[in-house]
Amino acid sequence: MNTWLKYGGLLLTLGAVACVDPDDKPSNVHDLRVLGIAVERPELMAPTCELTAEALEVLTNEVSYRALVVDPKGEGRSIAYTLWACADPEDTLCENTAERVQLAQGTMTPGELVVPIRPGASVLSDGTLLLDKVRQADPYEGFGGLRMPLVLNLTAGSEAIYAQKLMVFSCPLVPGMAPNQQPELQGLRLEGQPWAEEALPELTGQGPFVITAEDVSALEEAYVVPGFRREAVSLKEAWSISWHASLGEIPDEETGGADFNGEPGRHRVEWEPPEKDGVAQEVTFWAVARDGRGGSTWLIRKARWSP
Amino acid sequence: MSSNVKARAALAAASLWVATPALAQAPQPGAPAAESPPAAQPTITKPPALVQQVEAQYPAEALAQGLTASVRLIITIAEDGAVTDVQSAELAGHGFDEAAIAAVRQFRFTPAEVDGVPAPVQVEYVYHFTLNAPPPPEGQVAAEPEAPKATLTGQLISRGSRSRVAGATVRCGDDAEATEAVSDVDGRFTLEVPPGECAVRVIASGHQLYQTKETLKANETTEVNFYLAPAGSAFETVVRSERPKKEVVRRTVTREEAQKTPGTFGDPIRVLQTLPGVARAPFISGDLLVRGSNPGQTATLMDGVRIPNLFHLLGGPSVVNAEFIDSLDFFPGGYGSQYGRAVGGVVDVATRKGAADTVHGSVKVDLLDAGFFIEAPITDGISVAASARRSYIDTLLPMVLPDDEGSTLSIVPVYWDYQLRVDFGAPRGSTPEPGAARSTGYIMAFGSDDKLRLVSGGEEENRDISLDTHTVFHRVKGDWTYRKGPLTTVFTPYVGVDYFDISFGQYIENDSIYSLGAREVVSLELSDALTLRTGLDVYFEHVKVDVQAPSPEGTEYVPFPGNDPVAELIHEKLTINGFDGALFAEMDFKWGPLTVTPGVRGNLQKVGGTRNLLLDPRLWVRYMATERTSLKGSLGLYSQPADTYQFIFSPYGNPLLGYQRAFQSSLGVEQRLGDVWNVDVTGFFNRRFENVVAPGDVRATDGGSFTQDRFVNAGIGKAYGVELMVKKDRAAATDKWYGWLSYTLSHAEDGRAGAKPRVDGAFGDDGPPVVNEQTYGLSLWDQTHILTLVANYVLGNGWELGGRFRLTTGRPTTPLVHPHDVYNSDSNNYGPTYGRHLSARTSTFHQLDVRVEKGWRFDNWTLALYLDVQNLYNAENVEFVFNDYRYRNEMEIPGIPILPVLGVKGSF
Repeated sequence: MNTWLKYGGLLLTLGAVACVDPDDKPSNVHDLRVLGIAVERPELMAPTCELTAEALEVLTNEVSYRALVVDPKGEGRSIAYTLWACADPEDTLCENTAERVQLAQGTMTPGELVVPIRPGASVLSDGTLLLDKVRQADPYEGFGGLRMPLVLNLTAGSEAIYAQKLMVFSCPLVPGMAPNQQPELQGLRLEGQPWAEEALPELTGQGPFVITAEDVSALEEAYVVPGFRREAVSLKEAWSISWHASLGEIPDEETGGADFNGEPGRHRVEWEPPEKDGVAQEVTFWAVARDGRGGSTWLIRKARWSP
Repeated sequence: MSSNVKARAALAAASLWVATPALAQAPQPGAPAAESPPAAQPTITKPPALVQQVEAQYPAEALAQGLTASVRLIITIAEDGAVTDVQSAELAGHGFDEAAIAAVRQFRFTPAEVDGVPAPVQVEYVYHFTLNAPPPPEGQVAAEPEAPKATLTGQLISRGSRSRVAGATVRCGDDAEATEAVSDVDGRFTLEVPPGECAVRVIASGHQLYQTKETLKANETTEVNFYLAPAGSAFETVVRSERPKKEVVRRTVTREEAQKTPGTFGDPIRVLQTLPGVARAPFISGDLLVRGSNPGQTATLMDGVRIPNLFHLLGGPSVVNAEFIDSLDFFPGGYGSQYGRAVGGVVDVATRKGAADTVHGSVKVDLLDAGFFIEAPITDGISVAASARRSYIDTLLPMVLPDDEGSTLSIVPVYWDYQLRVDFGAPRGSTPEPGAARSTGYIMAFGSDDKLRLVSGGEEENRDISLDTHTVFHRVKGDWTYRKGPLTTVFTPYVGVDYFDISFGQYIENDSIYSLGAREVVSLELSDALTLRTGLDVYFEHVKVDVQAPSPEGTEYVPFPGNDPVAELIHEKLTINGFDGALFAEMDFKWGPLTVTPGVRGNLQKVGGTRNLLLDPRLWVRYMATERTSLKGSLGLYSQPADTYQFIFSPYGNPLLGYQRAFQSSLGVEQRLGDVWNVDVTGFFNRRFENVVAPGDVRATDGGSFTQDRFVNAGIGKAYGVELMVKKDRAAATDKWYGWLSYTLSHAEDGRAGAKPRVDGAFGDDGPPVVNEQTYGLSLWDQTHILTLVANYVLGNGWELGGRFRLTTGRPTTPLVHPHDVYNSDSNNYGPTYGRHLSARTSTFHQLDVRVEKGWRFDNWTLALYLDVQNLYNAENVEFVFNDYRYRNEMEIPGIPILPVLGVKGSF
C-alpha cells in the first residue's frame, strides 16, 4: 500500500514539476558557478588499516585540488576564494571553526583554480589530527573510508558560493580494494562528428543539436567496498556527466549513473539554442564527469552558433 | 351538495425510520429491499400496528367549500406504542394539518420491535379527509339481493427502480366506505368492488398519488400493473435517522451523499474529507488526515474487514465502489473497544444487501472507468448483490501520448475491482416471534487489481525504462448474526490474499500475504440499566517476500554522495508470520439520562520472536439533558500494530518494533433542532507516541559492522481543536434538499523524539521533515481552519443541483533564505538554507465544486446524466511549493484547474 502511495505521490510530483518552467536552468551558465571539483588523486588509500607511519605517509600525501569556476557575466572580475578542510560532512559551510583548517586563500579569475594541498596532514588548533575528527564525526566510524569535506568559498560582488568536495581516505579493509583512479573523458561528438578542443564548429538554426560523449564504459572501474551484511560488495562505476552551456539549454542536464533499477544510462543530450532574441555568438560547452566515488574530470568545447 | 362528513386515516406503513435512540434502520421507500441494512445492523423486526384510532374534526371552512385532502404526517411512536410526536411532512392547508395532528396525537399503536425488542420508531402516515354522499333516509333501507362483484388484482411497482411497493392502499374512488386493499411485501393486491368504472386511487408512502380508471366487468378478474412515481428525488430516496451513539462522534454518510457530493467523483472515501476533523489532503489525494494523525493511521474497514489498498493506482478512485455501499460510519476518534489497530480514526463501510423483491441493477460510465451493480433474490430468504468496475484509461492514453520517432513511450494503467455479497435470512414478510431465536448471515467477497506498465526509451533517449507493477488483493468474509432475547452475537471470519509484484530493470520483487482473521462480538442486555458487549478480534498473516535487487547503498554498504554505481545483485527470499489479537469488553451503565460506558481492549502482537502486549482502557459518558440535547465525552488509549513486513531484519525492517500508541479525548454536545436539523460541537485533544517513523539511527552491530533500522518507534504528535457539524437531513421523500456545514478549528503537531538520525534513510524518510536539526513542530498537515459547505437540491422534473465549497488554511511550509549558494560537487546538487521550521504557510485554499444531474424515469428503468465540475471558478490554489535548482526562489504550483467530468448512469 505504501508503495502505491509513494509511486502515486512521485508521479503526481513529477507531473506537477513538469508544469514548472523556471527561468534559471542548471544547464544554462550565466553567472558565478562552480561546475566541478576534482582532487588529483581522488582517493588516498593507506597500505594498512593500522595507524602506522607508512599509512600516515600515504594519507598525508599532497594532492592537487582543482575547481572549475565560471562567471560568464563577470567580465573577468576578480573572485576571492578560501579553501577549508573540516571534520563533519554535514557542515556544508565548514562553519565550525574549532574543527576546520584553512588550506588556501586568495583571488582568482574565472577558469580553473588549482591548489596543491595536503588535507590529510591538517592539524586543528588544539593539535588534533583533522582526520581523527573526521572519523569521530562519521556515523560509520570510518567503515566505508573517511570522507573529509573540502569547502571552497567564492565571493564576487554580491554573489557567494560554498562548494563542498569530499576527499576520500581509505585502507584495504577487505581483499580486492584498490584506490580509485581519476576518470578521463575520451572526447565529445557534436551532431555525430568528433568535437576537438580547438575546433569551432558552426551551428545554425534552432536545432536541437545532439551532443554525445565517446564511449567510456571500458574505463568504468569495477571495485569492492566493505559490506554491512557481507564482507564485501562488488560495484562498478557508472559515470555521470553533467552538461552546461553558456547559451540556450540542455534539457537533460545530467546523464549516466545507475538508476534504482541498476541500469546505467546513455550519454546523449540535445542542446537547444534560445528560441528568440538570439544573436550569433560563440558558445562554450562544459561536460563534467563524475565516477560516483569521488573522482571527477571535465572537457570544455566551443562552437559558433547563428540563429 | 348534501354532505356527510367523514375523516379517515390510512396507515402508509411502508415508511419506517427510527428515532433516537432506537438502534434501527428500516427499509426505505422507493427501494425498500435494496436499502436494507446489512444483517449485522439493527432492523425492524415488528412494525407498529394501529390499535386506537381517533377521528379528526373536519375543518369547518374546508367542509363548507367541499374540500378534501390527504395529510402526510411523520409520527414518532414510543417504545410503549404511545404517540410522542407528530409533524406534518407537507402542508395541506385549510386547517387539515392541525385537525389531523390533533387526532393522531391520540392514536395508540402496538409497540414496534427492533431486533426483537420494543423500540421507538417513526412512521409516515397519511390522513385522508373525504366527503361522503348522505346516507339514505331512515326507513328506506331495504333488503337488496347480493350485488355482482368484479375483481381488480395486480402489482404495484415503483417507477424506474421497479421495486415492489408494499403497504400501499388501493381503492376505487374517494368514497370513505369504499373497499380497500393493502399491497403485500411483493406489492400485490386484490380488490373486490362493484362492476363498472373504477376510479383507481393508490396511496403509497414515498410515492405520488396514483390515479387511473379501469372498467371492471361483473364476475371477472382484471389484472394490472401500476407504476407509481416516487416522490422527491429523481431516482431513489434515502432517509436515514441516527442510530444511538455510544461513541462521542460517529458521522454517517449515506450512499446518496457518497455518490452525489460534488467534487468527489462519487468516491465515498473522498466524501469523508468534507466532514469535521478531517484535514484537506493535498492535490487529488484521498488520504484521511484525521485529528492531527498522519496518512495510514486511520483504519478503513469494509463490514469490519480492513481494506489493504484503499485507492487504485496513481491517486485513482478508492476501491470502495459507491454502488455497493449502504453507508459509511466515520469515527474521528473515541471509538468503541471493538475497534483497534488505529491511532487515528476509523471508517467502517457497510455494504449493501441484495434486493429481495426482484432484479435491480445499474450501469455507470464516466471519464475513468465503467462499472455495473446488480442485485436480485435467488430464492425466498436468499439474495445476492454484485458489482464490478474497470478502468479504460489504458485505451485512451495512447491517443494523447506523444509518438516521436526514435523514442518510445507507453503507459498502460489498468485497474478493476469487484464486490459480491450473498445474504441468508428469514423469508420475506415473515415476522419472528418476539424473543425467538433467529439467525441471519451473509458471505461477501471483494477485491481489487491494479496494473501499471511503463516503457520509455529508444535511440533518442538517454535511458531505457521498463516498469511493471501489479497489486492484487482478495477478501472473503462471512457474517453470522444470532439473536435470542437480549443476546446478540455476530461472528465474522475472513480470509484474504494480497500480491504485490514489481519489475523495474534489475529490481524484481514478488510479495504475497495470506491472511486469516475473525471477529466475534457478543452483546447482552442484562437489564434496562446494564448492557454488556464483549468479544475478540484476531488476525494472522503469512508474509512471503522474494526480492532481487542491486545492492542498495546505505543498507549494504556505506554510500557516497553522487551517482550510483552498478551494484551486484542480491536475492532475498524470506517468510514472516504475524499475529495480532485483541480481547475487548465494555458495559453500558444507564442511570436515567446518564450512560457511562467503561471499556478495555487487550492487545497482543507476536511477530517472529517479538511479543507486544498492552491494555487500552477507554471510557465514554453520555448525558441526555433533554430529548433533543446530549452532552458527551470520552477518553482512552488506542494502539496500532506495525505492519508485519516492517519486522523483517534490519536494515530492511526492525524486528523489535512495538505498538504505536495514542491517547484520545473529546467532549461535546449535540442538539437536535426539529426533525431534520442536527448540530454537533465537539472538542478534542489527542497525543500520539511511539509511532513508527523511518529511519532509525545508524548503530554498530556485534560483528563490528553497522546497520540502520529502517523503522523505529520514535514518532510523536499532538493535536487539539473544536469541530462543528450542522446537518440538515431530508425529512421525507418530498423534501427538496439536504446538506451540511462542517468546520474544524485545530492545531496539529508532529515529529520524532530525540535527535535526528545521523544518516538519511536509504529508502527515504517516513515521518516529518527534519529542518535545521529540529525534529518536532507543526504537522505538515496542520490546517487551522477547515470549512466545508455541502448542499444538494432537487429542482424537480428530474434535475438536481449540488455544490461543495471548501475554505481551509494553507499547509505549513518552511521558508527558504538564500544568503549564498551551497553546492555539493560530488552529487552535482545544491543544498537549501532554510528559515524557521514550518514558519510559513501556503495561501488559503478555496474551491467551489458543482454537480448537476438530469434524470429520466421510465417504467422499468432510469437514466441519469451528470456533470461534476471541480473548481468551478478556477481558483489557483497552491498545492506544491518547489524551488529552483539553487534554492534561491520558491515556485508555487497550483492544483487542478476547472475540471468538468461527464458521467452517465442507467438503473433498473
